[in-house]
Amino acid sequence: MSNATLKVNGKEYRLSFSPHQTLLHVLREELGLVGAREGCGIGICGSCTVLVDGRTISSCLMLAVQAAGHDITTVEGLADDEKLHRVQRAFIDHFGFQCGYCTPGFILSTVALLANHTNPSAEEIREYLSGNLCRCGSYPNILKAVMSLSDSEV
Amino acid sequence: MRFLQPGTLEEAISTRVDNPEQSVIIAGGTAVVLMLQHGLIAPEVLISLEKIPGLDSIRIEDNRLHIGALAKLGDVADSRLVRQYFPALFAACAAVGNVRVRNQATLGGNLAEADYASDPPAALMMLDALVEVKGISGTRQISLPDLLLGFLTTTLEPDELITGVIIPIPTEQPRMAYLRYNNRSSEDRPCVGIAASATFNDAICTGLRLTVGAACEIPTRLSEIEALAVGSPLTDTRIHEIAEGYAAGIETIDDLQSSAWYRTQMIRVHIQRVLKGLRDG
Repeated sequence: MSNATLKVNGKEYRLSFSPHQTLLHVLREELGLVGAREGCGIGICGSCTVLVDGRTISSCLMLAVQAAGHDITTVEGLADDEKLHRVQRAFIDHFGFQCGYCTPGFILSTVALLANHTNPSAEEIREYLSGNLCRCGSYPNILKAVMSLSDSEV
Repeated sequence: MRFLQPGTLEEAISTRVDNPEQSVIIAGGTAVVLMLQHGLIAPEVLISLEKIPGLDSIRIEDNRLHIGALAKLGDVADSRLVRQYFPALFAACAAVGNVRVRNQATLGGNLAEADYASDPPAALMMLDALVEVKGISGTRQISLPDLLLGFLTTTLEPDELITGVIIPIPTEQPRMAYLRYNNRSSEDRPCVGIAASATFNDAICTGLRLTVGAACEIPTRLSEIEALAVGSPLTDTRIHEIAEGYAAGIETIDDLQSSAWYRTQMIRVHIQRVLKGLRDG
């Protein structure tokens, strides 16, 4: 077992887990943060997206021990008490989901995109989010939601 | 399994020497974690390189671009130096996986894994990159053809680590391209990847470098075919001849993605597209 401190959504957790456990497993099973979901388990679908030091990664492809010492953000860390994050609000306003399985991943990817590009074009949004899959096919509404947050919105 | 994070290269190498059979080195982890999860490897020790300082820099020194082994593929693709001097390497790194994979996977890890279905190795081979390797007996620099041995296999000795990649900056900026062809969906592994650079004097081609990756066990460059381009204009006929030469000269891979026959056809098609693109600027 490894003892490590994980900093998740601003809080530090002293944990003990086997070093072969993925960050996804520890977030869900040890911390009860189930916003990150396993879809494909091989880094393609984006359902397990979390932010590590502000950058998106697939938490199914990162060991929890690798994430120790870094700032981890899950979808649970976005809202400020009862007030939703503006990306969450935009996804609701534009119905950027159907079943919602992929939504936390899309939202975190959008947060990371907007942190670096305040006014992405539709093409840039499509390219950046191409690594997140939505099996309900809500892409047009997701694009509308993200475009509504871009300064370049016409 | 123990997870070790040595703070220096020397410490990492000696840890490796102490556990030559039972240890696996982990950089970003996209490949190693996948193999662990699928039970393809079961090391007693994982040696993480993440805490070794200074291995992720991208800088110019002595007219050569140095990329540290721990530079993330996304950082290589975003680097202004890489985009300015080596647009083919930019395009190859930007084509890998998705933004999350590129945020985690490293250039050194990509080379050490030696997965044929990958983009950066073909671009690096085309650019005559040297791989810097450090072991107990010191440092050596080897070319890509001398590093890559075959399917998931390199010539690295058990005590050796890749510390970086060095690419000579050409005196005359060539036209460069990397074209990745996916025959299924965009998030899939590449079927064929073509890296090319060419210099021209007016319409006369004065130099061509052409590497095919992802279609064969090791990226392949055929210098006798490259030479066909030099000294004359790159006419459609000449380009066709070069594409035929590569299609005939490369032993392609049969896998779940494509048959060897199909890959050969795609090499022929995509080399022509790349070379016409370079010619027409």
